[in-house]
Amino acid sequence: MMTFDAQLILNHLPDIASGFGITILCTLIACFIAMLLGLVVALGLMSKAKILRYPVRLYVEIIRGTPFLIQLFLLYYGGPSIGLYLEPIEAGIFALACNGSAYYAELFRAGFNAIPKGQLDAAKIIGLSRLQIIVRIQIPQMMVLIIPGLVNVSIILGKETAILSIVTVPELAFVLIGIGAETYAYAETLTVLAVSYLILAELTSRFGGWTEKRLSKYMERSI
Amino acid sequence: MNKQTQDSPIVEVQKMSKNFGTTQVLKNVDLKVQPSEVMCLIGPSGSGKSTLLRCIAFLEQYSSGNIYIEGEMLGYNDDTDIRKLTSTNELNHVRRNMGMVFQQFNLWPHMTALGNVTEALVRVKKLSRREADEKGHAILKKVGLAERALHYPAQLSGGQQQRVAIARSLAMEPSVMLFDEPTSALDPELVGEVLQVMKDLAKDGMTMIVVTHEMGFAAQVADTVVFLDQGEILMKGSPKEIFQGEKPPRLEQFLKNYMDRNAFWE
Amino acid sequence: MLDFSTLLPALPVLWEGVQMTVLLSISALTLGLIIGTIMCTARLSNSTPLRILTKLYVSFFRGVPLLVQLMLSYYCLPLIGINTPALPTAIVCVGLCSSAYITEILRGGFQSLSPGQKESAIMVGLNRLQIVAFIELPQVIRLTIPALINEAIILVKASSLISVIGIVELTRVTQNLAASNFQPFEFYLTAALVYFILNSTISVLGLWVERRINSRSIV
Ligand SMILES: Nc1ncnc2c1ncn2[C@@H]1O[C@H](COP(=O)(O)OP(=O)(O)OP(=O)(O)O)[C@@H](O)[C@H]1O
Ligand SMILES: [Mg+2]
Repeated sequence: MMTFDAQLILNHLPDIASGFGITILCTLIACFIAMLLGLVVALGLMSKAKILRYPVRLYVEIIRGTPFLIQLFLLYYGGPSIGLYLEPIEAGIFALACNGSAYYAELFRAGFNAIPKGQLDAAKIIGLSRLQIIVRIQIPQMMVLIIPGLVNVSIILGKETAILSIVTVPELAFVLIGIGAETYAYAETLTVLAVSYLILAELTSRFGGWTEKRLSKYMERSI
Repeated sequence: MNKQTQDSPIVEVQKMSKNFGTTQVLKNVDLKVQPSEVMCLIGPSGSGKSTLLRCIAFLEQYSSGNIYIEGEMLGYNDDTDIRKLTSTNELNHVRRNMGMVFQQFNLWPHMTALGNVTEALVRVKKLSRREADEKGHAILKKVGLAERALHYPAQLSGGQQQRVAIARSLAMEPSVMLFDEPTSALDPELVGEVLQVMKDLAKDGMTMIVVTHEMGFAAQVADTVVFLDQGEILMKGSPKEIFQGEKPPRLEQFLKNYMDRNAFWE
Repeated sequence: MLDFSTLLPALPVLWEGVQMTVLLSISALTLGLIIGTIMCTARLSNSTPLRILTKLYVSFFRGVPLLVQLMLSYYCLPLIGINTPALPTAIVCVGLCSSAYITEILRGGFQSLSPGQKESAIMVGLNRLQIVAFIELPQVIRLTIPALINEAIILVKASSLISVIGIVELTRVTQNLAASNFQPFEFYLTAALVYFILNSTISVLGLWVERRINSRSIV
């Protein structure tokens, strides 16, 4: 018979809270770096110069074609072979950021392409420079268009943090699975773990919906 | 509308051709547009009207021939034997004399009407925000949209959006305005308000090249009408010559189709 | 220095891992497609309880990391008296997770069809089943093929997580090899390459299927 021992969870609350904090921290930092990197990668993907475009394309394809777990192992366990000694949390965040950058980049690229060519013509003929067109016309619109996609990728990255537990980053999954192993109270710990991720995903998507609503108030949804 | 034929055209197109890959869409086009002249381009769909206009704006690179805007070569450096593209700076310098209005308005949907009009004033002309706003309001008033300044494109009717687009171009004080079927995407009852703004512009002496299917507008407002067919200029003349005089069979056919389409009472 | 000489003797073991990964992926994908189709039907049905249930189902499997789902089924199912071997448990787990995504992909496909099409089909007298089978489904498949292919690739990648519950597939094999040879970089790089080849194959196959389907209908 399965019983739910809430007291056990309460006893470990400080540990759980710290794990939760680390999960959120890893997600936020990784998402932030990944978006910046993704924007650069997207510009590379759209570059007219093949010498730039092809390697960037290869980077994106490799990231998207291999499991995150392998990327993480390669960086964390394999890193020292090429002189890269990283703490688990550093390796985790770095791997997550690289992983996310490929997915964000594809979104950015699609967003850029979704803006009608005519608008760019109008901007060109009126004399805006290439950079001004990117910053003033393309990025603001692209951001609104791709918010749902950004939220999705961010949720996925948030969930991927659970995998960091495998290389002993003391985030939420690591903490709770650890408590489970110690006390055999897997039902309690894993339920709390699952619910926490559900809450995180829900919050992220609420936040995304809210931002989208705020930003797109006056935007033509049909563009 | 008597124009003195002076020798400094605003736009001059010489033996210009344009290929897309292997298909030639414009063949040896020659045009001269004098200051304050209103030129209407007519012709069947696919005849190359938009392409011609986009070449004059250098949104498309023309393949051979020359285009001069106020005496300056457009898009290419021609000092050497091999033709080279000019720098973006030089291109923008020449382009500064042109405004363009598109069939699909092409407003920037994330900016208000005023924002659309003032964007280039601030970024390109480097006016202060206040000066730009002042000027933007004045121009919006001119196109009859004074109270719509803070509306976003999605909150405006098609006719209003197109008038904002015209205002956006006007703000840069171009010496020639290019219109590519500015009323074709509009509901019939909204066409009039846009044509009225264009008529006012013509009256004020703006130089205009207008691709249009509005024969009434061409007949009333144009100084010159150019008939383009399969990438070639088949006939060029005053509205009277084009609509009432002797004409090539292709033009005859084109106008007959137009009349048939618009006749609702025989 | 990197040294790939130990790779050759390891190839047979790696190959077994690859086979396991492929087997796992194919079984889980099949399961995911079947359950996903059923769930999508329920999701789009007129019954409110069904819609709510499927919505919860989708939120759970999409919101909880697969790693946690695997742990839950591995550690908690025995607690309620379900003692299935690890391999079927893993396949079902991955299959259910992917079915949630497939449900949403299919739903998006159905909802992107213009209502006018359905109305004109009703007007010419087709019944509900005919509309789904002859009007909607062919279009939905065509529309969603790219997303479904993508889902297959995600699934292959996700299958690497099964290694944590002790099933010896490609990732687990690689872990063992990396540890016993003290050459993590070389072996994980190799594993990455193998996954990349697997997924590239899927994507090439997918493009081919897509082209076949598209060439048989209006462009
Ligand atoms: N980017 C392009 N690439 C290839 N061909 C093009 C391109 N743009 C236009 N064309 C071709 O050039 C020809 C002229 O097109 P254009 O748009 O200038 O015609 P148009 O006279 O403006 O027609 P419409 O009245 O329908 O607007 C057409 O045959 C068209 O297919
Ligand atoms: Mg055209």
